[in-house]
Amino acid sequence: MSLIVGLPALLALLLIGLWAAAALDTAIGRLIVGRPVGMAATDPLRAVVADYLRQRTDTEAPDHLNWLLAPGYYFLLAVVGLALVPFAPDQSLIALDTSVVLWGAAEAVVVVAVFLHGWSPNAPFPLIGAYRYVAIGLPVMLLSMFVLIAASIPAQSLDLRAVVESQRGLWNVIRQPLGLPLFLAVVMSLTLRGPFDYADSADLAGGTSAEDGGPRWIAWQTARAAMLVAACAIAATAFLGGYLGPVLPGWLWLSLKTLAVMVAVVLLTHLVPRMPVARMLTLIWIVLLPIAFLDLLIAGLGAL
Amino acid sequence: MGMSWARAFAASGPPPVFAAIGAGGLQRAEELHGTLRLQRSPRQAAILLVLGEIAPDLLPFLQRLHDHLPHPRATIWHRATPPGDWTDPVQATADGLERTLTDLWRSILSGDRASEPDFLPDKPPNEWRGVGPHGQGGKGMMGGTPYGRPMAMTDDDLRDGLSLDAYSAPFGPFLPMLPPGLILDLTLQGDVIQSATATRPPCPQPGSDDRPGDAIARLMRVMDMPALALRRTRDGLPPAMGIAMLRRAIPDGLGRARDGTDVRDRLDRWRDKDAPQADDGTRLSDLLPGLEWHEAMIVLNSFQPDRIRAICARSGPEGGDEDDKDGNRDAPAHAPPDHGGHQHHDMTGPAA
Amino acid sequence: MENTIQILLLTALSLGAVMALQQLGGLSDAPGVTAPQAAPFIGGAAPGTHAWQRFHVRYYTMTLLFVAFEMEMMFMYPWAVVFVEEGIKALVEMGMFLAILTIGIIYGWREGIFAWE
Repeated sequence: MSLIVGLPALLALLLIGLWAAAALDTAIGRLIVGRPVGMAATDPLRAVVADYLRQRTDTEAPDHLNWLLAPGYYFLLAVVGLALVPFAPDQSLIALDTSVVLWGAAEAVVVVAVFLHGWSPNAPFPLIGAYRYVAIGLPVMLLSMFVLIAASIPAQSLDLRAVVESQRGLWNVIRQPLGLPLFLAVVMSLTLRGPFDYADSADLAGGTSAEDGGPRWIAWQTARAAMLVAACAIAATAFLGGYLGPVLPGWLWLSLKTLAVMVAVVLLTHLVPRMPVARMLTLIWIVLLPIAFLDLLIAGLGAL
Repeated sequence: MGMSWARAFAASGPPPVFAAIGAGGLQRAEELHGTLRLQRSPRQAAILLVLGEIAPDLLPFLQRLHDHLPHPRATIWHRATPPGDWTDPVQATADGLERTLTDLWRSILSGDRASEPDFLPDKPPNEWRGVGPHGQGGKGMMGGTPYGRPMAMTDDDLRDGLSLDAYSAPFGPFLPMLPPGLILDLTLQGDVIQSATATRPPCPQPGSDDRPGDAIARLMRVMDMPALALRRTRDGLPPAMGIAMLRRAIPDGLGRARDGTDVRDRLDRWRDKDAPQADDGTRLSDLLPGLEWHEAMIVLNSFQPDRIRAICARSGPEGGDEDDKDGNRDAPAHAPPDHGGHQHHDMTGPAA
Repeated sequence: MENTIQILLLTALSLGAVMALQQLGGLSDAPGVTAPQAAPFIGGAAPGTHAWQRFHVRYYTMTLLFVAFEMEMMFMYPWAVVFVEEGIKALVEMGMFLAILTIGIIYGWREGIFAWE
């Protein structure tokens, strides 16, 4: 797929996705409180414009370059993830036959981007958030790798395009029922949300973004929302049959499925509390990782 | 032209607010969480909302907090009296807060009202420019004040005895996850608390103790369930399912006080609407040392305002044995010290 | 090669866009950041020292276990591709491999490496 056609399409998809993520977050939050949804579709836009018009603050002796670049790293990893997602048979912006591996690498570098974002301001809350996130971000990546490898087994390929094609008979969400729930945990960790938000959390007054004002805040939140779009699109591709579906065009099916995953993630964000970090670390290694082994076993037996 | 359109569009949204809560402001803050856009950090706020009376000893902290806000910025006093030397203070009446906020937000965005200047002088904490062999204020490996502040120094760890840097700082009094008014002197190794003293106890919050729903909501907010924290069922509590989830996320035995109750027990008492527990002599040194940051914030939010105030009042730097040392600190700046509504001072007031 | 060029192009575009977003934004008429504005936010109090420090990382033993699993992933990628061809043999081999690593998890758990010690 050439960049001339693909890049504008990717950009359009990303912008719509960003807006949908922000609106969904606001609307679902208000629904849970029991308030009218109101202007949930435009309120995030007003907030973005307002923050954009405000001063960009600095801290004492920060790591200027990395502070500016960290949202860029994060955004870049989201863009690469989205570019790997096939939106029609054999059509994705980056045509790579090992796209599962590249996505896995992008997930790993998210830990670096989040850490640098918390390290750079030279302030206590961001620093604690940065170090703490590494402890959770690393083992959560193992969950992601196990479930994505399980999804690759029936496709006999590490190419997301082949993974979608292998689901023509039956979607992976039914064939490997443990995969998608585990991947939702991965999405929450990659996007610093709710029960897996050990970086930007309320107990640290915003953690790694506690010192972000004005345009810095916008940049980081945009990158975070972009990662939500990308990770949900990967989830829809690996477990919900991606572009497969009757009547409607493939890209629309993909968008609808991505949206459905986003709704699930936002709901979980609001409804599940975050436990202390040591408890979560134990939960990941002792409970979630064995469930991921089981997912691999189910996928393996199913493919024989 | 384009800029003015953008400003008008931005001004039509809810203003980002950071609430600095003083004496008697906690209950109102709980109501405002549902209607205002309350931010976690002043860096993301345009308007500093002073909610409740600010004692004279907290004013320097309020000024420092004020200076953290990015421009354009403004301050609103609600149920609070600005000190006499505060230039052109904006005060909001009980039912006029939202209107005052929107008007102020419009006028600072359009430039009709000038952004408030800093209170503190534009001077680094220590002079560093041109000081030392490299001109950045540092001396030797770790000494001096590079870029204005000294570096943290090594100390032995409580748990494993490793000698890494101990970070000591006063946290508070206007942190959204701490009881308002509390200044907590912490020494941290990484994210684990080595020692904790309260150099100033939290502000009194009359009438907050018989509101278990608010207490559960604060705990929910610290554990990032802000939307559920605002939802109340008919009995005035957040939904039972949410409380059950919250309970499960809290480790058993966390934050055991001297009377033997842990965080889960205290949560159960709120859920069952039992009467607030009597004071049992617990100190911060019984609760916090050895806890990781998130656990510590859960523990601090598992006490009702009066109880955590009593705990902090006896956890001062001198061992806190002189219970009367803070006297009438929280009396408003403009009122005589025997101003009404401060009966909650009794437990920490002079014994005589 | 084409993929590499595309990824490099996306890198340049993404980093450039986010840098520009931050550099162009902000008040053009705002005063510069002053010393009291730049002090780190800890609730209104002033910290004595810089925040950068030799941070006490409590989970370093966990990261060793993580490295073992991460290396295992390297073997799993090609394994997933040939799994259907190799059949039950591949399943048993990976099962043995994972069983050995699981002993590592149980040992680590017993030693308290997940407990922030």
